[in-house]
Amino acid sequence: MQPIVRWFHQLGSPPTFDRFARRWSRLFLIASLPVLALGLWQALFVVPADYQQGDSFRILFVHVPSAWMSLFVFALMALYAAIALIWKIKICEVLAMACAPIGAGFTAVTLLTGSIWGRPMWGTWWDWDPRLTTELILLFLYFGVIGLYMAIEDRRNAARAAGLLAIVGVALLPVIRYSVDWWGSLHQGQTIRLFGPTTLDASMQLPLWLMVIGTKLWFVGSLLAKARADNLQREAGKDWVQRQLGGAP
Amino acid sequence: MSYLGYVVGAYAVFVGLLVVDAIGSRLRLRRALQVARQRQQRQDARRSAATGPLELER
Repeated sequence: MQPIVRWFHQLGSPPTFDRFARRWSRLFLIASLPVLALGLWQALFVVPADYQQGDSFRILFVHVPSAWMSLFVFALMALYAAIALIWKIKICEVLAMACAPIGAGFTAVTLLTGSIWGRPMWGTWWDWDPRLTTELILLFLYFGVIGLYMAIEDRRNAARAAGLLAIVGVALLPVIRYSVDWWGSLHQGQTIRLFGPTTLDASMQLPLWLMVIGTKLWFVGSLLAKARADNLQREAGKDWVQRQLGGAP
Repeated sequence: MSYLGYVVGAYAVFVGLLVVDAIGSRLRLRRALQVARQRQQRQDARRSAATGPLELER
């Protein structure tokens, strides 16, 4: 077996995952801080004001990365849930369920910051626009996953039921993504492309990418920390947990 | 028109999420470790009770 494949298999074991998460969660969280700080500083003080929107466009440096995270985290949660259902890997159940609160947080931030930006630009805090409405449905889906996981006492059955909801909910992601193209929308269309021309001014791209990388690093650190806590709670009676308790922070 | 209030509000929401998320993760981990420790203490107490002196001391 190749070393990487073997390492991946070993990571599926709760004690190995605990050791891995203990080391890497803190490192990822610490690594995210300077990236986020630099991104925030650039977004607030370095980038010139937009010629049409003035300073209000600075809100987009927190809104856009949060919106991307809300979709990315849901897709990842569904992927972990599918792996857990097909191959019965316990750690993937734990990881899928640890994704839900973080994703819900980013979705809430997306809606709130979008609403704050919309008030001066659109003249309203909220509109039942396709993009806004589908993003709100995504938040309710996250709440559904969290609620279902909390409602069932048996952790494994709870994770399976909530995971199934996450897998079904993935159908919403392309609807959110293409809502601005399919229906007449107040929300602007795609301006940033990974592969293809980007209409965003070059001076605005660096802080945006810093914020995108910073939120991703933060997410990995937070995911590992939450998954580690859930893993420890599930495995509380096992020998490896008793052995590790002496050295745990 | 000044947008300062809106910008500050939006950034506060974002930073607030990160702070709440970090505190939430820490509390969750602390609680998990606490539960595991309590369980270990109960197990140790049960084990020592089971292997204790069978005769009463005179």
